[in-house]
Amino acid sequence: MFSSQLKNRRILLVDDEQALLDMAESILKEAGFENIKTAATIREAVEITKSFLPELAVLDVMLPDGNGFTLYEKLRTFTDIPVLFLTAFGEDADRIRGLELGADDYMVKPFLGKELVLRIRMILKRYYREEDPLVQLAGCEIDFARAEIIKGKERLSLTAKEYNILQALYRNEGRIVTIDQLCEAAWGENPYGYENSLMAHIRRIREKIEINPSKPVSLVTVKGLGYKLTVRRD
Amino acid sequence: MKGMAKLIRRCVGILSVSTFLILALNVCLFVAISMRQTANVGPWTTAKETAQELRKEEDGYVLSRKMEMELASEHAWAIYIDNETLKVKWHTKELPQTVPMSYTASEIAQLTRGYIDGYPTYTGGTEDGLMVLGYPKDRYWKHMTPSWDYDFIKNVPGTFLFVLGINIAAISLIYLVTNTKFLKSITPIAQAIEKLPSGEAIEISQRGLLAGLAAKINQTAQILQAQQRELRRREMARANWISGVSHDIRTPLSMVMGYAGQLAVNPLLSELERERADIICQQSIKIKNLINDLNLASKLEYHMQPFCEEAVSLCAIVRQSAADFINSDPEGNYKIELEIADNPEVYRVRGDKRLLARAIYNLLDNSRTHNPQGCCIQIDIQKEAEACIITVEDDGVGISEDKLNKLRHTSHYMMDDTGIEEPRHGLGLLIVQQIAAVHNGTVFFDCGKYGGFKVQIKIPL
Repeated sequence: MFSSQLKNRRILLVDDEQALLDMAESILKEAGFENIKTAATIREAVEITKSFLPELAVLDVMLPDGNGFTLYEKLRTFTDIPVLFLTAFGEDADRIRGLELGADDYMVKPFLGKELVLRIRMILKRYYREEDPLVQLAGCEIDFARAEIIKGKERLSLTAKEYNILQALYRNEGRIVTIDQLCEAAWGENPYGYENSLMAHIRRIREKIEINPSKPVSLVTVKGLGYKLTVRRD
Repeated sequence: MKGMAKLIRRCVGILSVSTFLILALNVCLFVAISMRQTANVGPWTTAKETAQELRKEEDGYVLSRKMEMELASEHAWAIYIDNETLKVKWHTKELPQTVPMSYTASEIAQLTRGYIDGYPTYTGGTEDGLMVLGYPKDRYWKHMTPSWDYDFIKNVPGTFLFVLGINIAAISLIYLVTNTKFLKSITPIAQAIEKLPSGEAIEISQRGLLAGLAAKINQTAQILQAQQRELRRREMARANWISGVSHDIRTPLSMVMGYAGQLAVNPLLSELERERADIICQQSIKIKNLINDLNLASKLEYHMQPFCEEAVSLCAIVRQSAADFINSDPEGNYKIELEIADNPEVYRVRGDKRLLARAIYNLLDNSRTHNPQGCCIQIDIQKEAEACIITVEDDGVGISEDKLNKLRHTSHYMMDDTGIEEPRHGLGLLIVQQIAAVHNGTVFFDCGKYGGFKVQIKIPL
């Protein structure tokens, strides 16, 4: 289902409920992840992180000897691994606190096993992208490490704006990314009034990635809403 | 405080009118009594009549029988003084011993103005002499020096108006002085009563004329405050209870969803078992959504949901919600058409981005819930006067008139104290209404022109 590189990533699961740890571990193992360890307390989590050197941590917020936000800060003193919060605290304030701390994602219980696997995969791919293979599209490949499009023997450079737009689309591959999200990716916060510029950039990206830019198949328009990038998976 | 000023004006008005009326009444009474006095035969008239009724006969003077009886009824006596000798030539039988029988000119002048030995006397002249009537000592009081300056009489109208003015001024002054204290006491009470409906804390001084009333108002304010605190505490407890339950249920539900999800794709199970596991999974998702909705609805209802107000683009919010909705529909059963009338920049309002996105998503989800076979949803954003209108309309099964009426006019069971025997609509549309309300907006439900359901959210700019 996914690369051996991903399968071998070391994952630490931290939750005060042993039953939930067992279930999450079984879901991840079933999905192909092989290196998983679990911890039920902050102390245990810190010890395992130092010895096991996980490449991603899934943290609960409510733990018997403190909270997950404190654990996050402790981990940050000696490692910068990506972190996903998985918690029953679903208020906006909790979610924002977790993301503001620097967590890579925030999931609220209850959750579907499939969703947990997808989010973990997404974080790992994003975080360890230098090792990620080239992104395969219908008419070309994207080399995000070099910010280039490989079209046959031709290598086409991406501008900073084009790179950011493609990144935003790739992070949400197969999903609609709204015009506003793409403008934000390219021009930062409050990107109002850039819709025409975005259309121009999309046209230029299509010229680089599509075989026939007039009939795009990889970067398609969803009328009135935004754009969707379809990645080829062999 | 407008009421107080009105009250004071009214009191002063009534006082002025009352003063005039009392003065007018007094004048009328005075005139009436004086006229009665004049009509009554006074002692001067009696003296004059007695003089006329005294006849000189051969053997002396004789008073008529009628006059004799009248004098007797008044307990009065009479003497007749001769002009030439200044001696008493006739007198009634009951004459006090102390009455002199002869007079000097100065004594006659004295008795004409005043008294003889304390008896008030009145005179009536004839050709030959002077008739003097004497009344009992306690019958009349006489003013000895009745004389008026002509200037005074000439100025009587002016003097009257001057006195009237002074009287009114004096009464007004007395009113103001005596009522200042009253007004001082009543002003804080009036202010406190005006504040009572707002539920503010009130503590007015319990001194002065209206101390008792002030104490009662303080007591009432304290009772209202206590009731509000208790109500707020109960609301908080209810919202916290819902929040707590929704939190506690999340982990067990995760286990149900997680294992059911695994079983649903387990190749070792039979097709039927996998289907059943999938049903458990789908129903668990419904429970998850329900507790999320319940939690949000109770927080909105009890004003416990943080409201992060900022300038937001309604177009961006609608686009995001629509994209999220389509992204959650991998089968592609639902088609969304977005119509934006003007430049998207026009539709900027102050509001909470997440809540508004939730409202739009709920409307899309509502179309999905009622049209599981799929439908086309049209979203339209328009500007009207000082508001933005977002219309979400589908071409699905629609809604009957009866249900539409209930939706428009029946409150949700969460905020209704009547029974819940009758099924009501779910939490999704209630949350839409609550979110519109926190943005000072409104929601209107209708039948769509394509036969489906139509909802309009109006958000002020």
